[in-house]
Amino acid sequence: MATPASVHAHAPQGFIRKYIFSLDHKVIGIQYYFLALSAVFVGMLLSILMRVHMIWPTASLPLLGEIKPETYLALMTMHGTIMVFFVLTTAPQGGFGNYVLPIQIGAPDMAFPVLNMLSFWTTFVAYMVMLAAFFVVGGAPLHGWTGYPPLSAIPSAGPGEGLGADLWITSIAIFCIASLMGALNFITTTLDLRAKGMTMMRMPLTVWSWFITAILGLLAFGVLLSAGILLLMDRNLGTSFYVPTTMVNGVMTWHKGGSPLLWQHLFWFFGHPEVYIAILPGMGVASQVLSTFSRKPIFGYRAMVYAMLSIGFFGFMVWGHHMFMSGMSPYSAFAFSLLTMCIGVPSAIKTFNWLGTMYKGRIRFSTPMLYAIGFVSLFVSGGLSGPFLAQPVLDIQLHDTAFVPAHFHLIMGVAAIFGIFSATYYWFPKMFGRMMNETLGRIHFFITLAGTYAIFMPMHYAGMAGQTRRYSQFTEVAFLQKLIPLNTFITWAAIITVSAQFIFVINLFWSMFKGPKASDNPWESTTLEWTTATPPPHDNFGGVTPVVNHGPYEYGVPGAAKDYVMQTDPPTGTSH
Amino acid sequence: MADATLQHDAVGHGTPGAYEAPLFGAYSKKVGMWLFLASDSLTFGALLVAFSYNRIYTAWPTPFHVASITNATIMTGCLLSSSLTMVMAVFAAQRGDRSWTRNWLLATMAFGTAFIVLHGMEWSKLIGEGLTLPIFPKPAHAAAGELADISKNTPQFPATFFGLTAMHMLHVTIGVIYLGVVAFRKWFLPVLGVLWVVGFALIPSDNVFHYGIHVLLIALIVATVILVLKPKDYDAEDVEVSGLYWHFVDLVWMFIFPLVYLMSTKIM
Amino acid sequence: MHDAATHDDSKGQYFWVWGALLVLTAIEVVLGYKQVFEPVRMLEVLLILSIIKSALIIAYFMHLKFERAMMRWMLVISVTACFIIMYSFFFRDAARILPPPNGLGVQ
Repeated sequence: MATPASVHAHAPQGFIRKYIFSLDHKVIGIQYYFLALSAVFVGMLLSILMRVHMIWPTASLPLLGEIKPETYLALMTMHGTIMVFFVLTTAPQGGFGNYVLPIQIGAPDMAFPVLNMLSFWTTFVAYMVMLAAFFVVGGAPLHGWTGYPPLSAIPSAGPGEGLGADLWITSIAIFCIASLMGALNFITTTLDLRAKGMTMMRMPLTVWSWFITAILGLLAFGVLLSAGILLLMDRNLGTSFYVPTTMVNGVMTWHKGGSPLLWQHLFWFFGHPEVYIAILPGMGVASQVLSTFSRKPIFGYRAMVYAMLSIGFFGFMVWGHHMFMSGMSPYSAFAFSLLTMCIGVPSAIKTFNWLGTMYKGRIRFSTPMLYAIGFVSLFVSGGLSGPFLAQPVLDIQLHDTAFVPAHFHLIMGVAAIFGIFSATYYWFPKMFGRMMNETLGRIHFFITLAGTYAIFMPMHYAGMAGQTRRYSQFTEVAFLQKLIPLNTFITWAAIITVSAQFIFVINLFWSMFKGPKASDNPWESTTLEWTTATPPPHDNFGGVTPVVNHGPYEYGVPGAAKDYVMQTDPPTGTSH
Repeated sequence: MADATLQHDAVGHGTPGAYEAPLFGAYSKKVGMWLFLASDSLTFGALLVAFSYNRIYTAWPTPFHVASITNATIMTGCLLSSSLTMVMAVFAAQRGDRSWTRNWLLATMAFGTAFIVLHGMEWSKLIGEGLTLPIFPKPAHAAAGELADISKNTPQFPATFFGLTAMHMLHVTIGVIYLGVVAFRKWFLPVLGVLWVVGFALIPSDNVFHYGIHVLLIALIVATVILVLKPKDYDAEDVEVSGLYWHFVDLVWMFIFPLVYLMSTKIM
Repeated sequence: MHDAATHDDSKGQYFWVWGALLVLTAIEVVLGYKQVFEPVRMLEVLLILSIIKSALIIAYFMHLKFERAMMRWMLVISVTACFIIMYSFFFRDAARILPPPNGLGVQ
């Protein structure tokens, strides 16, 4: 190579190159993590405001006053968007994926460090643009995180649909570009930078999950990008891709001949893989943690890999189950329903394997393990309502009720968040060199788990009883009067659960500076990140590329000196 | 074995052989570009879907006469020939012939620029004849006529036409700038700046490209950032990777040309 | 590059490919302008020709023919699968609300 002295040969000097515009994947991972942390608090605050408004619609809140119905819709939109894009996509993939993936495969950095940095800062810009939508004239948009036209395509359709909606779409488009850069970086790194001996079938399941997530992101975000561009054109350049001849506030618009269904197709072609982008890294982390803390090899490693691959594959063929209500072709609905049911098979395989991993293990109930078990629990209880909604006949009954938010919050929202928590408690010692407080972690876990079920289980019943979603007020509706106590309970549960998250934040920041020092391998885990120093040096392995001799989860190997065999330990002769 | 020559130059250290053989057997930048192109092809695929989706239940106009078709055919020829010169540039780069690499890249850029200019003239002509989007004013002399009627009765037609071709033109423009940066590095930046200023000054303000030329400014800023971050000399691999992008732009046009132009020719 | 040397490096084939692409384009233009087929058949013919052209570009100009089989199949299959999935579902309901006037909406 003509230029051996790459930017990465030496650790950068100076605060800005080291911590702000850093090329180091570890710093970028932590940056992503804190971006997501700030976003999750914004999102939670919005959800609390929504819950409060539902129960006490006329209450005057400090600073905000009374929440108007359109403000409620704006809160809902921004809650969904921020949570899906800037938390569930950013933290597991951008945060932990960035930090851990290169170390777990034995690479000194990502394949394209500069692209990695650009990816983070583009995400940051997208986040700022999204937040700016709160502060412009008219406020944040009203069209929900799915942005269905015509509402989202006509600036005069509502108070937030002017500049606010433009900023919203712009932010999404920028986020798409950032995710594309991130995704191709992840894939290339996994393909090209695996240390000697780290064959594909020796990669930890976390790496597999990030890898598959990146493939999904690569193929899905490109579609959302063009959908967003067309929506921007509809709003500002006078095209009508998505808007039929229509009337707003009694005035005919100039639109003609577009189809709102087109947006729904394009959006959900991205949107359904996006669900798996959020949950797959959680599956990876759960597999890693369950195996480590059960002191047993993962049950059915290959089955896990193929299950994830088939979930990713089927994930591209089921977007129509979000659209059973839209008036699309019933033949498509039939096919989508069938394919959606198929996803239950690999999901069940994974659940079975997680339980099989724990079965007869010598389980250590540390906080990461508790969260991984919580993940499995939420995955099951959220997943079981999936086959209900996959059937068009039932979905038409349930679609616009609280049943659907209950379903997707359990499985895609909180389950993925539990994956993030598990990952945080698990990798925190490696990232910051200190241990987190176990007692606080347990308190946090039990309140969060109980709170989550208290919020979302009753919502299923509210939905079956006919409570609509998206409506800002229901307390005046006669047939929903009986649901007011249930909803009051949900709101209090939400307030308590959100408050409990401050325990986590206190634990996080306190442990970062005051926690007990962590050893290099506090969990007695086997994968490569635990072979290097804590926290890892600039190039991860101090200039030496590790050589891998073992599979990722060799715990309790008969005849071994310890109850675990590191991936870099010398070969024993019996290992595959 | 191919991986013996693979160097993880993006990372800058680690001796060859310390890693598993890359699954795709190609160097990282090439894999990265291929992945980007996979994603970008879906971006264009979605646009073509939007085009077809609007088209199949609309009475679709067929306004393109011999002048437009001839022009578009010449444009297609330009892009195809530019792909050939690009291949030659990659060959020259691989045998280390710097001056010929530069010459072939220049030829490619010239074909690309010809494409953009021809396409821009085509746009201006169509707009001048009344093919506009509803919220933009029509030129006074084109209030009636075939294209003006089409814009009025089938707004999908100008919307999809301008949407698809603008996206493609943007890709060609980015491609030309990309090749320019690969061929001339920082010396290309002033050229870009001059082109932006001159274009902005010379194009009349009622022409859409009076505003479209600002793409060059954005490209100038992005290219500057990239050259600051990666100030190295570009080698044969970079030429090959930029070539991949260029051929892809060519490939996309192979679908846009028949769908947008040839399926809308005037029936004789 | 080592792997670049494993295939036939003669430049002649690229000129042939270029010529073939030009000829195919000419055929497309003539077919399109002479309106040889009905619109639906025309679309099929043009798309088949375009796919042949793009395959030539991908295989020769973009060198995919000379890459490792793994890369070739992964890229081609993933992108093609996405397109097939999109196209097999997207248009079923496009024509459902408003039926197409006459094949493909061409007047």
